[in-house]
Amino acid sequence: MTPILIALTIGIPWLGAIIVWLMGDRREDLTHWVSILFSIGAAITSVLLLPNASQETALTIPIGGDFGDFTFVADGLGIFLSVIAAVIGSLAVIFSKSYMKGEGSLGRYYAFVLFFIGAMVGLVLSSNLLLIFLFWEITALCSYALISFHNDDPKAVKGGIKALIITSIGGVGLMVGALIVYAYTGSYDINNFLANYSTIPGNILALLAFGFLIAAAAKSAQFPFQTWLPDAMEAPSPISALIHAATMVNAGVYLLARFYPAFKDVPYWSEAVMIVGALSALLAAVMALVSNDLKRVLAYSTVSQLGYMVYAIGTGSVYASQFHLFSHSIFKALLFLSAGAVIHSIGTRNMLEMGGVGKKHPLVKWVFIIGALALAGLPILNGFWSKELILESGLKNGPLWLYIVMVFVAGLTALYTIRCVWLVFFGEPRSDYHAHAIGWEMIAALLPLAGAALVSWLAAGRFSVLLGEKSLPFHAIEPLPYKEMMHEILSLPTLVVMAVITAAILLWVFRKKLEGLINGLKSIRWAAENSFGFEAINNAIVKVTQSTAEALRVTQTGILNWNVFGILASVILLLAILVLGA
Amino acid sequence: MNLPIPLVVLITILCLAGIGLYCLLITRNLIKVVIALQLIVKGAVLAFILAGNMTGQLNLAQSMALTVIVADTIVAVVGLALAVQIRLKTGSLDIKSLSSLKR
Repeated sequence: MTPILIALTIGIPWLGAIIVWLMGDRREDLTHWVSILFSIGAAITSVLLLPNASQETALTIPIGGDFGDFTFVADGLGIFLSVIAAVIGSLAVIFSKSYMKGEGSLGRYYAFVLFFIGAMVGLVLSSNLLLIFLFWEITALCSYALISFHNDDPKAVKGGIKALIITSIGGVGLMVGALIVYAYTGSYDINNFLANYSTIPGNILALLAFGFLIAAAAKSAQFPFQTWLPDAMEAPSPISALIHAATMVNAGVYLLARFYPAFKDVPYWSEAVMIVGALSALLAAVMALVSNDLKRVLAYSTVSQLGYMVYAIGTGSVYASQFHLFSHSIFKALLFLSAGAVIHSIGTRNMLEMGGVGKKHPLVKWVFIIGALALAGLPILNGFWSKELILESGLKNGPLWLYIVMVFVAGLTALYTIRCVWLVFFGEPRSDYHAHAIGWEMIAALLPLAGAALVSWLAAGRFSVLLGEKSLPFHAIEPLPYKEMMHEILSLPTLVVMAVITAAILLWVFRKKLEGLINGLKSIRWAAENSFGFEAINNAIVKVTQSTAEALRVTQTGILNWNVFGILASVILLLAILVLGA
Repeated sequence: MNLPIPLVVLITILCLAGIGLYCLLITRNLIKVVIALQLIVKGAVLAFILAGNMTGQLNLAQSMALTVIVADTIVAVVGLALAVQIRLKTGSLDIKSLSSLKR
């Protein structure tokens, strides 16, 4: 049963992608409905996989030769991520029906979305590193194609290319890692590697560990690769929700979680992971605080929350990290989709031109507030539980100063979240926008997510069993019953975090009286608006590459004789080296 | 003078390839480029046969040689057809007039 379900969960969206591609734009309504049908089909099969979780290899495709078999394992960790990909994917597709109404090239749009869903499911369910690499690059390709979906907009094209280049750096890291694993263990199989990692020499294992850290940082937009995610916000909003908040950017965290048992003893690795996570969380939170673009604020907060997950892995709590990933996928998809509804209705992304949107769209206001409160980590909502678990683990297993940084970031999170909500939904309209109606498809996608943001933490106990008992045998994750979770969370450190969050909210309420303090922080504001210099570094790299290419242009004459001369000269050179060497 | 046959073949191969490469190096006429390519490939086919003879896998070498001949014919046909089109478009067969992809 399991192998069929795995094949279906990957195959249904891919089949749908081909069909939608062939249908093109001939009948708009039909294209919408067919894509919705296929994405819901994938969501159903992925949910059906849930009770079948096991550590055994479920599906083997022999491809012969040195590559080993392409194996799929439907373990707890993989299934849970594939459910997120397929279910949130189907909600994003439903949302798109209203959001993309009247747009051109719908066939291309839906084909890439469905192609992405299948590839993401494949990425998390496969246990062959080579196959993981293939799926990893397919997701990067789909992300690029969808960021640049409006390919007549130079900003969108630029953002897409930037995302593609930076995530490719991560892809190279993953490929090198896969080749090293193959060279030292004789197969690409993850289980085999996790069982035998101790036979690999220490320095090679360290190389592997840091290579995967680079891969994960590039994919999950972590320090120092965080710059691509905000520019990826040129994509249509459902894409931002699906790929750049709920699924693809989690692939890096997934990779670290999957390989944590092998890397945890590599010297300085855990520290490096913690510092990467904490720095990303801090820098992105400050940038979110000064940005005026609604989607960019959400993108920065995604970087920041991914920083929490990476930090959690560094502290050794894979469970807390994956639980926060679960919560974050839900509330961030909710936030992006409701932001998309607002942007679709008003026609601008600039928060300074919004204000008072809550009166026009009360329902969107309330679901956005639910998502925002979960993001801020206020009690009862899912973000609260998972963030507290991470901070708990940070206090126990990490250095104190990093814990303090993370608590401070929790405060910043509350501050920029309340600023964002206030600027968009409350106050008086700051420009004479016209609010268009919101389609029922948008509401149909938003309500389940809002409900899930309220109650998904109730699944924590089952979730720990899924990850602990039915995941790869090398992860020691204790089941976590409610009572224990309550006990762990209702303690003094939580109160400290709550106090910090309350202080942040009060800071916003009394912002008029604190103008002196705000003016004092002007230099930080300036630095954050310039993304702490990372944008400048990126531009410098681009400039150097381009000028080198210009300089090397003279070597390309385009005349055959010169090319043949080059070939001959290098053959003679090679022969000479061989002769002299021998 | 009594040279062993493999040596004669080897010298022929080197001569064919050498003449072809020299021709590629100096000519600017598209037709002559195609002829030069033919010369090089004929040398390569001969090299296959020689290698097959020396390793004792003559049948493998022969099938490879046949494949190369077929592919090579296609290259010649397409190359000459392109040459005709280029002559019609630009009025000359000079390959210097073909570097228009470079700005």
